[in-house]
Amino acid sequence: MSIGQSPVRQDAAPKADGSIQYAGDAVPDNALHAVIVFSGRPHARMVSMSTDAARAIAGVVDVITAADVPVNEYGLTMLDQPALVGVDHTGVAAVDGAISRWEADQIAVVIGESRAAAGAGAAALDVDWEDLPILGTIDDALAPDAPLLHPENGLPTNAYHPLKIRRGDLEAGWADAEVVIEGTYTVPHQEHAYLQPEAGTAYIDDEGRVTIEGGGQWTTEDREQVAHVLGLPDERVRIVYKAIGGAFGGKEDMSIQIALGLAAMRLAERGERRPIHCRWSREESIVGHHKRHRGRIHLRLGATNEGIITALEADVTLDAGAYNYTSNKVLGNAHLTVSGAYRVPNARIDSRAVYTTTVPGGAFRGFGGPQGAFAIETTMNKLAAALDIDPVKLRLLNAVVDGDEGITQAVLPEGVTAVEVITACAGRAAFNEPMADVEPFAPIATLPPEPTVTRRGRGFATSLKNVGFSFGFPERCEAEIHLHGDGDEPTSADLFHGGAEVGQGNHLAMRQMTAEVTGVTLDRIRGHFSDTATSGDPGSASASRLTFMSGNSILGAAEEAEKAWRDGQRPAIGRFRYTPPPTESLDEETGEGQPNFCYGYMAQAVEVTVDTGTGHIRVDRVTSTHDVGRAINPRMLRGQVEGAVVQAHGYVLSEDLQVSDGFITNPRLSAYLIPGIGDIPTEVDSQILELADPLGPFGARGVAEMPFITYAPAVIAAVHDATGVWFDEFPLTPSRVVAGLRNAGI
Amino acid sequence: MSLGKEMSLKKMSRTHVNCTINGDEVDFLTTDATSLLDALRDEVGLTGAKEGCGTGDCGACSVLVDGRIQCSCLIFAPEAEGRHITTVEGMADGEHLHPLQQTFLEGAALQCGICTPGFLLAAKALLDENPAPTETEIRYGLAGNLCRCTGYDKIIRAVQEAAVQLKGA
Repeated sequence: MSIGQSPVRQDAAPKADGSIQYAGDAVPDNALHAVIVFSGRPHARMVSMSTDAARAIAGVVDVITAADVPVNEYGLTMLDQPALVGVDHTGVAAVDGAISRWEADQIAVVIGESRAAAGAGAAALDVDWEDLPILGTIDDALAPDAPLLHPENGLPTNAYHPLKIRRGDLEAGWADAEVVIEGTYTVPHQEHAYLQPEAGTAYIDDEGRVTIEGGGQWTTEDREQVAHVLGLPDERVRIVYKAIGGAFGGKEDMSIQIALGLAAMRLAERGERRPIHCRWSREESIVGHHKRHRGRIHLRLGATNEGIITALEADVTLDAGAYNYTSNKVLGNAHLTVSGAYRVPNARIDSRAVYTTTVPGGAFRGFGGPQGAFAIETTMNKLAAALDIDPVKLRLLNAVVDGDEGITQAVLPEGVTAVEVITACAGRAAFNEPMADVEPFAPIATLPPEPTVTRRGRGFATSLKNVGFSFGFPERCEAEIHLHGDGDEPTSADLFHGGAEVGQGNHLAMRQMTAEVTGVTLDRIRGHFSDTATSGDPGSASASRLTFMSGNSILGAAEEAEKAWRDGQRPAIGRFRYTPPPTESLDEETGEGQPNFCYGYMAQAVEVTVDTGTGHIRVDRVTSTHDVGRAINPRMLRGQVEGAVVQAHGYVLSEDLQVSDGFITNPRLSAYLIPGIGDIPTEVDSQILELADPLGPFGARGVAEMPFITYAPAVIAAVHDATGVWFDEFPLTPSRVVAGLRNAGI
Repeated sequence: MSLGKEMSLKKMSRTHVNCTINGDEVDFLTTDATSLLDALRDEVGLTGAKEGCGTGDCGACSVLVDGRIQCSCLIFAPEAEGRHITTVEGMADGEHLHPLQQTFLEGAALQCGICTPGFLLAAKALLDENPAPTETEIRYGLAGNLCRCTGYDKIIRAVQEAAVQLKGA
């Protein structure tokens, strides 16, 4: 048995002794250094750019501009972004390449003998701009006179990707409603703040491929995007991942890869074949890559006096920023999760993304789920309070079960475990018993606790999250296994897989699953990972999908390899491409369709202490309950839960990205506050249920995003329980809490 | 932005630095404007210390300077003259990992690993000073280090476990 155990990950020792090589460490001695120049203009048309002064600086080797870009458009799901903004772009792209639409649109790549030389060259670029109106908010962008940021999409407004759900008889639903809860919820940006800023090295490999060594979340997708801009067939580009210092969705889209690929290709054409290294500072990273979407959700929920939901109307608007990135897909998830894990017989939901001249919104752990869950779960908690019903009981009254249709009028994939998860969580948290005593809370460590101003409360939330790609996006995962040995049974194996190890431990999980199915011991499983020259298409390390998808690809490859083994082939080679049941995009008018093939279900109970004097909040206890189907590596799994909870803790309490007139004004970890070791919940109790998923490998579902999704509404409910005040906007910084409490007379 | 221009145009004077790194006497050439972090990584070839922010906020670049935990990104390289520097590469005793390294890897107190060298050194500095810290003292001792993956709990447990092992040793 290899799965269900918690062996030490193979990269743990090199991470603990400092020897492992991240992209920022593996810098060849002869490397040139690239600086990527941002426009610094949230919205402006480039009039001219001269590189003469930059090129004249000692140590500047070359300057790459839009004139060097074969195909000046890219994007993970829509080709709406110029690779380099410039006046002399080629014109192959539909998007106007002369316009900067956010402060970090890239305008040039300066290559120097040193970083200092490249930096000096960047400072010497001579650029003239004609400023255009800044559309700094959703409301600015939706104003009738707002200029269109993407006229190439043919739409008459900056809103795009409208989604609808029309289910049941809404009028009848409202007629049946005896209580109505209505509110508008504002959700903030969130910065990924992976501890390793973007870094990479590009060169032409021995087979002439433009090769980029760096970090990312999906090797073959990175390759496709780079190849598209470079005007090359995919196989002329190679993507290799070094050790990756965190991602969380923030490395799903391109950052430095295209600039590096362009530089390596053009310099090689000019006879310069030294490798080119680039790394971003923290400030460049925060300014230069996408964020969790901010947005606004209006929700109206009707129910009977017994608490049965009769009607739901929701309106979801997410700020896509300057370019789509994955906004259309994130929006789709928010659109689905805003009705929760509940039976909602009558519903009308309208959602859209809106282009603004701010930092793009994109993938971040939860992918639209946290925004949707905040609105519906806070509404449910308000409903429970209005009806004086236990919030757990209210959820059990409405939770979906196997055989139910989801909000899109398709039967939910088999394995619906919302009731089991809610019940287990409430039991483990002793939600209906008095709270256990805790240490007195002193928000200012040097002062004694002031018990007269602290209040305690508890909150509950539940949701569901898709595992794998949605809405008809082609889902697949490829694996290759080689079995070796001289006797009857294989004694060692090679696994070739593209799946990205972003810190979560997937490479160990894949080796454990390979050991489990081949019978080879774990220490004899050699992994060959994340190089498009040797591994197939893994799909991304996202959507809580990689354990599920890689596991199924490994099961298939092992079966093929065993067949070859029995046929006498040595080494016995098995290759497999796993494809799950197909999903569908939603009907444009009714939202009907089957958007997903698997869900994970989760519930959380949270206890807090609020200092009503200072507005500080301490989270005393978190019970985080997850149906994971099967725990492949229980210790790493708990690490995912604890890490996601603390990331969500920052989201709801402290992380406050300031965006003003299109500029991020606090792009530093001194001013954008992620939780430190003194800020975290006192106790996080991970409760793991193993209710096998019918499609999952060994029954496993995904888990990486689930503990994030319900945390904000659970904390908000606990703060209400403590103070009687609802907060429909967060983060709950002390100043916001104090303002809310004082407003309520506390 | 003009600073960069001046730096490349003006020929920077090179400073000779002698110090002890991980027990070895080391000398290297650097400039007055180079951080100890960059000198360790680029001149000495020790890449265990990471740049997570460059502004002293995250602690990923932490090293011990004469036994005290410091952000190497905030120290100019010439300030290392005559000092004893310990980086993560100097924690193991030959093949034998330091008990902290061992408890971190066995307890899954690391995920992506970028913050790990800094946490290990901060924990070493703490335990060298206070061999039996309370949980609160551990949190204070590690308050200068950020981690975005683990949620910190397993780091606290790993330090507690290492403290027990070191006490027994």
